[in-house]
Amino acid sequence: MKTVFSYAKPYKFLIAIALSLMLLELTVELLQPLVIAKIIDDGILAGDRNQIIEYGIILMGLSAIAFLSGVVNSYFASHVSQSFSFDLRKVVYARIQSFSLATFNRFPASGLITRLTSDVNLVQQVLFMSLRIMLRAPLLVIGSIAMAFVVNAQLAVYLVIVFPVLSVFLYVMVKKGVSHFSFVQQRLDQLNRMVQENLQAVRLIKAYLRGKHESNRFSGVADSLKIDTVKAFRVMEIILPILLFGMNLSLLAVLWFGAFEIRQGSAEIGELVAIVNYAMRMTGAFSMFSFIIMAFARAKSSSERIEEVLLAEDVREKDEHGEDNMLHRGAVEFDGVSFAYPGTDRLVLKNISFSLKANEKLAIMGATGSGKSTLLQLIPRFYDATDGMVKVHGSDVQKWKLRTLRKTIGIVPQQSMLFTGTISGNLSWGKEQSEQSELADAAVKAQIHDTVMRFPDGYNTRVGQKGVNLSGGQKQRLSIARALVRKPSVLILDDSTSALDVKTEAALWQELERENATMLMVTQKIRTAMKADRILLLEDGEISAYGTHEQLLKASSLYRQIAFSQQEQEVDEYV
Amino acid sequence: MFDAIRRPFGYEPVIRKEDLKKKDSKKSERAENWQSTLLRIWKLVDEHRLLLMTVLALVFVSSALALLGPYLIGYIIDEFIVPQTFSGMGTVIFWLIAVYIGHSVSLYLQNYWMVGIAQAVIYRMRTRLFEHLQRLPVSFFDKRQHGELMSRMTNDIENVSTTLNSTFIQVFSSILTLTGTIIIMLWLSPLLTVLTLVIIPMMYVAMQWITKRTGRLYKEQQQAIGELNGLIEESISGQKIVKAFSQEPRVMEEFLVKSENLRRTGFWAWTFAGFIPKVMNFLNNGSFAIVAGVGGILALNGSISIGVIVIFTEYARQFTRPLNDLANQFNTVLSAIAGAERVFSIMGETEEKDEIVLNVDKKLHGMVEFDDVSFKYEGAEEDWTIRNVSFAVGVGQTAALVGATGAGKTTIMQLLARFYDAAEGQIRLDGTPIEAMPRETLRKQIAFVLQDPFLFEETVRENIRYGRLDASDDEVVEAAKRSNAHDFIEALPFGYDTVLKGDGSMISQGQKQLLSIARALIADPVILLLDEATSSIDTVTELKIQEALEHLMSGRTSFVIAHRLNTVRQADLVLVMEMGELVEFGKQQDLIDKGGVYTAMLADAKL
Repeated sequence: MKTVFSYAKPYKFLIAIALSLMLLELTVELLQPLVIAKIIDDGILAGDRNQIIEYGIILMGLSAIAFLSGVVNSYFASHVSQSFSFDLRKVVYARIQSFSLATFNRFPASGLITRLTSDVNLVQQVLFMSLRIMLRAPLLVIGSIAMAFVVNAQLAVYLVIVFPVLSVFLYVMVKKGVSHFSFVQQRLDQLNRMVQENLQAVRLIKAYLRGKHESNRFSGVADSLKIDTVKAFRVMEIILPILLFGMNLSLLAVLWFGAFEIRQGSAEIGELVAIVNYAMRMTGAFSMFSFIIMAFARAKSSSERIEEVLLAEDVREKDEHGEDNMLHRGAVEFDGVSFAYPGTDRLVLKNISFSLKANEKLAIMGATGSGKSTLLQLIPRFYDATDGMVKVHGSDVQKWKLRTLRKTIGIVPQQSMLFTGTISGNLSWGKEQSEQSELADAAVKAQIHDTVMRFPDGYNTRVGQKGVNLSGGQKQRLSIARALVRKPSVLILDDSTSALDVKTEAALWQELERENATMLMVTQKIRTAMKADRILLLEDGEISAYGTHEQLLKASSLYRQIAFSQQEQEVDEYV
Repeated sequence: MFDAIRRPFGYEPVIRKEDLKKKDSKKSERAENWQSTLLRIWKLVDEHRLLLMTVLALVFVSSALALLGPYLIGYIIDEFIVPQTFSGMGTVIFWLIAVYIGHSVSLYLQNYWMVGIAQAVIYRMRTRLFEHLQRLPVSFFDKRQHGELMSRMTNDIENVSTTLNSTFIQVFSSILTLTGTIIIMLWLSPLLTVLTLVIIPMMYVAMQWITKRTGRLYKEQQQAIGELNGLIEESISGQKIVKAFSQEPRVMEEFLVKSENLRRTGFWAWTFAGFIPKVMNFLNNGSFAIVAGVGGILALNGSISIGVIVIFTEYARQFTRPLNDLANQFNTVLSAIAGAERVFSIMGETEEKDEIVLNVDKKLHGMVEFDDVSFKYEGAEEDWTIRNVSFAVGVGQTAALVGATGAGKTTIMQLLARFYDAAEGQIRLDGTPIEAMPRETLRKQIAFVLQDPFLFEETVRENIRYGRLDASDDEVVEAAKRSNAHDFIEALPFGYDTVLKGDGSMISQGQKQLLSIARALIADPVILLLDEATSSIDTVTELKIQEALEHLMSGRTSFVIAHRLNTVRQADLVLVMEMGELVEFGKQQDLIDKGGVYTAMLADAKL
């Protein structure tokens, strides 16, 4: 909790103001019973009418002060908590953005989303409440006790007699409550994950008629959430009745012993009334306690979850001094590279070596799961090689500033994803401050320009979840255009033309061949691979063959097999 | 420093007068919504009537006992302490102890049961909303951001839950305590009572002033939250692309704009809501002063006793305390009602309904006819996505859909599965219009291999079994073998029991497709829809799959979108789409002989 709440530090001055206003409000209220005691002892019992009126006016004035401080307090409390959560959200979000993918993948995406949304909201709410009312309850109790001692120490002793017992009880319950509620929070996470999964898989669920099945699965999780929540609350609900009972007993003690004290002359009736009044105020404050504990427990588990992100050890993303010598712009070299995903032992790539000069084209082929996509991910340094060295532009990728490195690389991922916004907004991801003509240029090359122009708003057409429906092929071509906009020195295509029809694909390849970029492309088609300068055939993470089409035909039986099967098709097509 | 107070976020946040007025004109409409929202929540709660009655009875008991306490204390002061006669005081104290025990016990029990009711209600709300989501048409999800729906399902329902847990009892106990207090106060001293009640109209005016502002501000805040959450969801799930393009600063900037917007709206919403308890407190303290002052003077005349003043000041506080509690929770209540309203509004969305339900008992064979079908996506201004498409595919035939991307191939499949309904024309299955068939009957006959294979955070086994829930483990393995997924599954750390990560990052794209093919295989459908399913699978594997698919397709009507000419060549029928229209349709050989678009396509493919 410490780390999270350290983000409230910049506002400590405002917090101090808010708290002192609350304290002022509280003090004023605590003076009330004292004034009542005066009215009884100096006014009624002494028969002095003026005194009564005077004290009555004082009471009124005190309420006005309490009110003003309360209202101003609300302003500051709201200010502090909103700014705090704004800062916290910003820090967490920036932190997530700075994660390397290895670290990022340690958290489920849904978990990161809840941390940024509901967890931050909850912590914010608790801060707001503490600044306004939550701290008030404990302070009221302490203040009331202090005032009771001021009024009459002997009587006050009877009041606090049960306190040690109640304190121990409260402590135990708080601990219990906190653990219960963090468990509930976990359940809630699980539930949220399921909802998210379902939203993503709407079509699949409909196609397989699994609506009922999903609902049943969901009911199961929702049911355990219900049971745990009920359990947690029921533990919490014990607190108030017990505290109330304890307080009421001490109130009786005050009355009983107070009566004797008055007879002995060591206390006055007004004093007794005042202490009774304080005791009753305390009972009032107790009703807040279980509420506070609950809020505290949830804030604790929320801030712990946020801290997991803030304190997560990031494996990398430290920019070394930053190479800026791009002598061999476009060169890509793998030197004995092996790789296992962080946290696993299995080597996905084993001892891979090859080198490409600027503008050379490499086709990567291989069976599903042979490590093709993984190999490509090492070039923009999504992950660091476990062993060996990846060199881009002639230098070790680890020496480049990440931004510099990635700026020179154009990536078209296997699954195209566009972001909510306009088409030109999405394309300009490739290059900031790009001219409209540059965007259109890239779109023409990616064979999507004509399609875009057919949309009613052209390049300003909105895409994403609230925008137009794009087909898989359209998305793929936009994502290719996005990579081309930056005029990359290295272009990475991860089987990125799978949803294109033959004609479009051919036109696209014609454009790509003219691009001034080193190309690495994963493909399944010999026809495409033949256009590359060299072909790299992967098998179980190892290089099975490397060379030109002709070389591979001679050297690799696996390659011959693939080529044969596809040639057969080709022949077929001519018939 | 002072600037920071005056202009909290670098500018002066001003509540615009015209905004307040604007809301006024819509007031009746909003009030109506609130009432119906509350009514719907009430209906859910009412399902636990018996338990609820018990809780209410307990609230009644505890409220009565809470009132009795101060009364007895005043009695003790007047009867024993002031006159200094102590005989009989023990008995009253004994009664007081009994009252306190009763109070604590009834308090505990009412909360114990209420939590049960509240959570049961929330459970039902949650599952009903979820079930409803399952029944909504695909077009509903096209229109909305996931983040927005997520926050309906999570934040909004959580808010209702918190409120039901505590507020429900408070409302009733407030009403009871209020009535009880007023009666006792009137009985003790009508004059002081009237003076105490003066605060009620003041309270009303103050609350009016505040809620007029908070209601609208909360709505704005909620909207800001929704937008921010949408952005967060999208940028986190697309993190890899953000990184690839070094767009961290850009998403950060967008994030800050939305976050700032939330801070601004939230700030005023919370500030104004924060006034509520303060106003209550003020009025409370004011009445306390009046009672003390006027009461003192009355006591001087001897018309009331000191005990009465003590009781009265306590009652005056008790009188507003329940209202005070309510006011403290006003934030939660407001946003809970607003949240519930949004939840119910989703429940009000029209479900996929089977309008005319013909009972199709006979076994379906899979003859598919499109008769002059046209369609365009909801809200799309552009032309028809599909226009005047007519064709027929016989039982067991394989139809290949070819054409440029965006020509409408996917749409044809989606229409056949009734993800969307055709705007014009008719689609028939075995001669029956599919709109006259229950969706369930229709979709039971269809298996899909969709463009983006989606896998659940479940074991591999369960992911395959998704195709047919009652499939045995052996059948799952068999399906995996037939789709060539078996070998790679065996190589996973826990074989078939490996739990896949939500984003499927553990296995490659091609492997995902193999699993999704296995899932379709196990479903054993009459109609098979393959949407570019084989595109990311390497040639070697693909050949094997091709075999498996041939097996699978035999005897089934199949629609295939594929870019391998090989696949296309094996089809019985070819549908050539161009910009939403079916330009050529017929048997493979007939089309080649014809020498039209299809022939040109084949020629183009031989690059």
